[in-house]
Parts: sequence; structure tokens; C-alpha cells
Amino acid sequence: MSVLSNKIGKSYVMTSALISAAVVLLISITLLINSWDAITNVGWGLFSFNWNPSTQEFGILPMIYGTIAVTLIALVIAVPLGIFTAIFTSEILPTKYRLSIKSILELLAGIPSIIYGLIGIAFFSIWVQDIFDLQSGRTILTAGILLGIMILPTVITLTDDALQNVPSSYREASKGLGLYKYEVIKNSILPIAKSDIIGAILLAFGRALGETMAVMLVIGSIDKIPDSIFNWLNPGQTITSKLGREIAESSYGSTHFSTMIFMGLILFVFVLLLTFFAQKKLSHSNRLYE
Amino acid sequence: MKYKIYFFAAFILLFIQACDQQESITISGSTTVLPIISRAAEVFNESESNFNIIVNAGGSGVGINQLGEGKIDIGMTSRDLKKEEIKSYPEVEFNTISIGKDAVVPVVSSEIYNAGLTTLSLNQIAKIYNGEIGNWKELGGPDKEILCIDKEQSRGTRHVFMKIVMGDKEAETPGADLVMGSNNEEQTAIVQSDAAIGMLSNAWLSEDVKGLNIKLDNGTVISPNLQAISNGKFPITRDLFILTNGTPKGNVKAFIDFLLSPEGQEIVEKSGYVRIK
Repeated sequence: MSVLSNKIGKSYVMTSALISAAVVLLISITLLINSWDAITNVGWGLFSFNWNPSTQEFGILPMIYGTIAVTLIALVIAVPLGIFTAIFTSEILPTKYRLSIKSILELLAGIPSIIYGLIGIAFFSIWVQDIFDLQSGRTILTAGILLGIMILPTVITLTDDALQNVPSSYREASKGLGLYKYEVIKNSILPIAKSDIIGAILLAFGRALGETMAVMLVIGSIDKIPDSIFNWLNPGQTITSKLGREIAESSYGSTHFSTMIFMGLILFVFVLLLTFFAQKKLSHSNRLYE
Repeated sequence: MKYKIYFFAAFILLFIQACDQQESITISGSTTVLPIISRAAEVFNESESNFNIIVNAGGSGVGINQLGEGKIDIGMTSRDLKKEEIKSYPEVEFNTISIGKDAVVPVVSSEIYNAGLTTLSLNQIAKIYNGEIGNWKELGGPDKEILCIDKEQSRGTRHVFMKIVMGDKEAETPGADLVMGSNNEEQTAIVQSDAAIGMLSNAWLSEDVKGLNIKLDNGTVISPNLQAISNGKFPITRDLFILTNGTPKGNVKAFIDFLLSPEGQEIVEKSGYVRIK
């Protein structure tokens, strides 16, 4: 009996893993097949600056630029803020407050993105508009900051876990050497937790890349790269916001539709590369205490 | 554990019942036509209890594509179908039925309107969208940069507006600063700015979003009101359509008949548009 149930259990587990893997494969094949039309018909024209389906111009560079810019801003905001918050909750805050503070922060992660979007459009973009004296608060910067707030809980929680994973013997040993608290954190805990923190950042990066709803509402949705590529106070467009706005409007099977799928493919490849990079980085981690 | 099973069974039963109970008509498409259809659906759902009408938005392009793909029973559109759209769905026999008339009105933020800029010619508007005019000062308004708001390319409102103003329904607009989607979204963007120009269906004009008068080539000034729309004097008018696949039958036909009845046309007028009957 136990041999049989063992076998059943094993094959069940294996099938589950196979199904999950098959889904990834299926998605990439579907994306590739459906974007083939765009790749063959538009070709290198895809990597140009003009988007106008009625004249068969499908340049996706503005969208790629927007995606990178928005994600970059989000990371610049969320990573330092998140890591410092995690150091505070994990190392400085007494344990009895830690869990309650952490669960409040994790609540942030549970707020649906459409609500972030609504707050963004109703209040936040107006603030940006007033502070920078702009014509319109719907800018790349607005979207980036909003996205930064959205990925903040991911960074905080995972970094906090990473710091907690460092055995307390390291803290005690460093303290025993007479180091100050900040020296303990800086020289002993952070280097050990480093690879886990990088993992946290990469996960947040992935979420920022794929976020649609909130970004779509506040970014202004214009398919243009600003005159200066660092002038983030201009409206722009990300791949996800473009897909969100236009995919239902393009008729199935047209080159327009196919180009939209191609953008999806680009995003997918971004995320795949990221995961690959992350895993490679993490497997090299030299955790001293293991 | 037992309770869980009962609960689950009750849930499934409810679900089956909900599916079983009513036939439904699904409608989606133009946000311009939406106010008429959702009001009409509300009235109709009350009087006819044997089936249900579900209404969604999305824009004219969405209405046409979803009807083509067979996802909905009725599409709403505020523009004519494009050749490519008809060609994309060879099996579908698009049947357009006009249910009302509307104007697309160039609108500005109330700050600009109240500062005295109430009339523009089509040519001046075209120059704004072309990026040749960038400041309200050049048009006799206050010294503020123009926030030029465009719409998504497949939107019906944009097709009609661009065809009259720029001469091409899918014209490119180098002067545009923002691209918005639905009438609601466009309205919000204009209200939030104090120097914006945009395009809206007549029914969306309000205290904060003012419709401009249009100066024709011969010098006459025409303001956007129902009278000017119904007698065709206002230059940017259009029909509001619903689309079906082939000749409507059964419940779909009943609903369309209702829209064209005096009661339905009353709803068209209440929504801020012009009746056709």
C-alpha cells in the first residue's frame, strides 16, 4: 500500500510540476506565433519611433522607453526606502512591535492596483501638477512614484525576511567584538543577507514591469519619447498601458493586433531574462553560515 | 466538514439557478452611446422581466470588434465602420441602425472660457492639434500654454472630430500632449487642467467643461446646442448607431424596437442627444 501511495504521490507531484512548466511554454509559443505576423511584416520597423496603425507604422520604442523609465524611477524610490525600513523593523524595532508593523506594511501590498490608480489620478497627479507647475500631472514621474509606492511592500517584506534569516549568533559575535549597532548591521548582517536582498529587488522589479492599471491611468498615454530622455515630467506610455488601452480595439488577426502581442512578447522576454539573471546570481550566493 | 459540504452545495445550486434563470443580451462599445443604452436597458429590464440586458463600455472600436468576434449581441458605435474592420470579419453581416444624433464639440477648461475665449474657427483648432499654436495668447486668450488632449485612435468621437477639423479621420496630431480614452476620462483631464482643449460628445458638456462656439468660414458663429445639432448647422455632427450581426431577431429586436419607439427616443433626448424620430 505504502509503495503504491508513494508512487501515486510522486506522479501527482510530477504532473503538477509539468503542468506549470507547460503553461510557461504554452504562453511563450502562443506569443511567438501571434506576433509572427508583426515580425515578418513590420520587421525592423518595429524598433522605430512612430506609432500610427492607420498608416501601418508600428514603432514600439516609445513604449519600451516608457517601461524602462517608469520601472527605474520606481526602483530608485522603493529600494532604498524599502531596505532602510526593513533594517528598522528587523534590527531596531523590538520584536513585539515588529509583527504588527510588518502586517500593516503588508496591507499595502494587498490594495488592488485600480485603487492606487484612482488615488493617483484624483489626487496625486494634481499634486505633481501643482508642485512642478506643469500643464498636466499625468507624467512618467507620476507613474514612477506611484509604482514605487506599490512595490515598496514587496521590498520591505522580503528584505525583512532576509535579515531575519541571518542567525543571531552573527549579531552576538559582532556585538561581542565591541562593534556599534550600525557597524553590526553594515559590516556583518547586510553582507550576509545581500543575495536575498537582491532577490527581493528583482521580484519587485518584475512586479513594476508588469503593473498595468495604475500606470495606465496616470501616465498620459502618449506614444512619444520626451525631447530629453531624462525629462520625466512629460507624459509617456509603457508597454502595459499601451496593451491595456489598445488591445481590445485592434481586430484579431490584424498586424496591429500582432504588434500588440509582440510587445507582450518583449515584456515576457524581459521578465524571463530577469528571472534567469536572478537565479544565476542567487546560486552563487556564499552564505557563510551554511 | 459537513457544513462545508452543505455550503458548497448551496453555492453550486445558487450558481446554476442564476445561470438558468434568465436569457441575457450583452451590449458593449462606444461610451458616447452608452448613456442612452444603459438608461434604456434600465427601463426595459423593469418592464420585461424575462430577460436581462448587460451593458459594457470600451469605445466604438471595441463594440465593432467584439460583435465581429461574436462576444456580444449588440455593438454601440458613434462612427462609421472602417473598411478594414468589415474585411476582418467576413462571416459577420454588420447591420447598422441609427438611434440618435450627436455633435462632437471642441471643449476648453472653464478658466479659458471664462477669460473670454469662447469662439474658435476649425482652422485654429486644427493648428492647435498640429502643434502650430502652443499658447492661448496667440488666439486672444490668457498667457498660458495649451494642454492639447487627444483621444485613442479608434474612438468614434475622434474619427468624427478629426475628419471635420483635420480632414482625415485618422489624422496624426503632433501637437497632442495627452491621449485619453473614454468621454469620462477626457472630461476629467480637462476639468483637472486650467488650460486644456479637447473633444467631447455634446452630452458631456458641463459647468467645468465648456463647449466652444465654432466660427465658420463665412463668419457665422454657431454655438453647440440641440437646435443647431438637429437642423445640421453645427459642423461636427454624427449619427449614433447600434450594430447587430444580420437582421435582429427575438429579444434583440424587441430592445431595438423599444429604442426607436417614442419612449426610447425620449431617453435619447434626456441623455443630451437629438432624437431621430
